[in-house]
Formats: sequence, structure tokens, C-alpha cells
Amino acid sequence: MREILQWTTLIVCAAATAARIPSALRGTNRSLFFIFLLATAAGVLSLDVFYLPIDRALGGINLASFLLRLIVFAAIYLVAYRVSRAFGARDAYALISGRIGLSVLGLFSAALVTLFLLMDFSASSAGLADTGGRSQRNAALLPYYWATARGYPTYISLALLPSLVRTLGSRLPALVRAGAGLMAAGAVATTAGFLLEFAAPAFALERLVVNNAAVLFFVSGLIMVWLARVRAKGTGGLGTSSTDR
Amino acid sequence: MPLPAKAFQRWLHGIAPDTSTADVCRLSGVKRTTLAQQLVRGKVAEATVVSISRAFGANPVRSLAYFEIYHGLADQSILPTPQELVSQISTVDLLRAVIARSGTGTAPHTSEAPQAGLLALGPAAHATSVKNWVDAIDDGELRHRVSAAAGIAPQNYSAQLTANRMAPEVAIATSRAAGVGLTGGLVATGLVTEAEAGWEPGARQAALDMMPDGELAVLAGDRLQAMGKTLRRQEQDQEQTDMILENLG
Repeated sequence: MREILQWTTLIVCAAATAARIPSALRGTNRSLFFIFLLATAAGVLSLDVFYLPIDRALGGINLASFLLRLIVFAAIYLVAYRVSRAFGARDAYALISGRIGLSVLGLFSAALVTLFLLMDFSASSAGLADTGGRSQRNAALLPYYWATARGYPTYISLALLPSLVRTLGSRLPALVRAGAGLMAAGAVATTAGFLLEFAAPAFALERLVVNNAAVLFFVSGLIMVWLARVRAKGTGGLGTSSTDR
Repeated sequence: MPLPAKAFQRWLHGIAPDTSTADVCRLSGVKRTTLAQQLVRGKVAEATVVSISRAFGANPVRSLAYFEIYHGLADQSILPTPQELVSQISTVDLLRAVIARSGTGTAPHTSEAPQAGLLALGPAAHATSVKNWVDAIDDGELRHRVSAAAGIAPQNYSAQLTANRMAPEVAIATSRAAGVGLTGGLVATGLVTEAEAGWEPGARQAALDMMPDGELAVLAGDRLQAMGKTLRRQEQDQEQTDMILENLG
């Protein structure tokens, strides 16, 4: 179950990345390619099969887990940056890439680094599953580490949610609205994942499902909007005013 | 409410007794799959009856009157009001009339008799005909009465008007609630033509010609304003869509 979910997420992300290669080479919206690429990298690092060898190569101190967290931060920031611009959400924009937004990103990153350095990670373990049992200090710090790791995506999700819901209820093309809806679902799932983190460890599987769903929702939402553009191009819709129809 | 399939079969037998379903479809241009589906569901669309009537030279309005819920259509004694007639003239045609009347138009043909219908009016069902028709017969309370009588939520009713759509039975209910002839809404929605509804040829032009200049100017102004609002909204939507697609496409 666990493996199937993680592989599905990885395959979807990898396929989206591959499909974006031509546009990336053309130079259209490279950031979308990078979002998918980062999501794929995160998917790779979530799987034990890849995590353990990679971490061993990095010194076996769970640096890969730390890297994964930073990749997630980068991916969610890029998504939010693009979405807030696309949907003309000035409020979200300030909270994400304005001065406040960047300070929040800096704060979360600094907290993540500090907590990582304070913990003792002398053995590779995917998802830091065994780390808590290693020492008293680890057990005490681990919840904070997770709270920080999930906190930033949750913050971003909550900042984006209003503009996504607004778009969902607008008169824009169906594919765009579907995309906004899926991303809104992703934002909700991200928040739910954060809340479930505190209900651990009883809900390990539920947490995994919710977190994977969040990634899948965001990625499929982006794919929807992308399809809307492909469609608009096909009918010559993009850039032309509605009045000359 | 679409028509019951049983009654439809009886009506079809009356109008085209020896014609196969395949031929009915071929002659009327109704898709065979569409008709089959409607028959299976037991609900035949009014538009199907209209198309078949035309193919067999029957008056669509009288054909609809064959069905119980549309019995009232048989009585065509109430003529459309002048307001209804003018509501079925497109905004652009109204604006043309304003210009023609001003007499200052630079076009040479304005010196000819302006009443002679120098420009033929476009068809009755135009881009905003449904909303304009309801506005023309509304006494201020009409929408409430229709919602109550037809069991349709007021916001759904307004949405239909904005989309320039209206189900035939709602159109009839609207006419009844306003106390006007029952065919007006069917013409406004384009289900039947004005001729099929028994409107005199040239009745719309005559109603327009009878309109005082001031009234025409105000009406044309209102229509132009509504048109501007719609266009602006469409443009805003388009701009927003473009921005989304540029950033995320």
C-alpha cells in the first residue's frame, strides 16, 4: 500500500516532468518544469530504495532527509509564486513572495537547519523513522523538526487557498477552474497532513495517504491548467480578445 | 417539462402516419440517436416536435398545443404587445433606428423615406432576446410570480435570462404570469419563429416605427449599457484567463 502510493506519486511527477521537457527547451515557463522536477526529486527521496543509497553517499547522517525538506520548500514556493501571480491574488502574493513571505521562508529554513544540527543522526533511516528512539534529545526535538518541515507548506497552502477557491467559483474556462479546484484540494490535504502530524504515530498510513494526495492534487492541478493552455492555443484563444470571436 | 413519449407517438402517428422513424429523422434533421434516447427516457424535447412539424408542413405552435401542458397555445387571440415586439429587435438594429431618425447620418440613403424599412431587421431571437422580452413584460413583480408558479429558484431564473436561455414551459409560465400572449417566450428563445407564432409580418418594424424618439433613445441607451457591461465582463474574464495561462501554462 505504502509503496504503491509512493511509486504512483513518483511516476506521475516524473511523467509530468518528461512531458514538460519540450516546453522547457523552447523556453516557455521553465519554472513549471522545475516544479515538476523538484516534485520528482522529492518522490525519489521518499522511497527507501533510493533514499538509503543516496543518504549513504552523502555520509549516512540523514542529510538526504534534510535535502528532501528543502526540495519540498523550494517546490511549494515555486508553485505558490506562480499561482499567486497567475490568479492575480495580491493578498496571497504578499504572504508568499513579498517581504513577509520571504521572511517566513527564511524563518522556517533557519529553524529547519537549527533543528537538524541539534539532532543526532548517525544512521540512515528513511522518513527518520528510527531517529526518535536514538536518544532522549532526538525524541524531544523530532516533533519540532516535523512541525517545521510541514509548517511552511501549510502556511503557503493557507495563503493560496482563498484565491484558489475564488477561481473555482468564477466564470473562467472549465479546465482552469478544475485546475484551481485540484490545487485547492492539494492545499487542504497539505493542511490536513500537518494536523495529522500531531496525531502521530497512530495515523502513519493516513498521514502518508494525505501527504501523497497533496502532491498528486497539486501536480494534477498544474497539469489541468497546462492543458487549458494547450487547448486555448489550439483554438487560437490565447492573447486574443473575446470580442473578436 | 419535456413531452411524454406516449403522447408524442400518438401525435407523430397523426402527423406522419405512414412514415418510418428513420424517414422522420431524415426529413426533420433530428438525429436518430437523439430521438431514440428521448423516447427511451419517455421525455421528448419540444425542439424535436418543432423540427418534425416543420418537416411535415405543420405549424409548430399548433403541434405543441396538441400536448396537454401546452393546450393553451391553441388560443392565439392575444397579440404580442408593442413592448414585446420591440424587445425582439436586436440592440444593433435599435441603434440603427436611432441614427436613421436623427436625420444627420452621412449615409445618402437616410434621405429616403425612413419608414420604408431601409434596413431589414435581424431575426427575432437575438443575443439578449430572452432577457429583453422578460424586461418588456415585467411589471416589477413578474420574476417572483414566475418563481412561485414554475417552482424555479429566483437565482436560477435570472441565470437563465443572463444566458439567454429559457425552458419552453418556463417561457409559457412567464407569459401566463404576465398576462400576455403565450407564444412570446417561445419566439424569444428561438424555439419558433415569429411567423409560426402568428405575429404579423412587419409587426416588429411597425412597433418600432410607432415608438416616440425619446422612448427609443432611452431604450437603446439601456440596451447599449447592458451590452457594454457584458462585453467588459467578457474582456475581464479573458484577461484573467490569459494571465493564468501565461503563468501556469
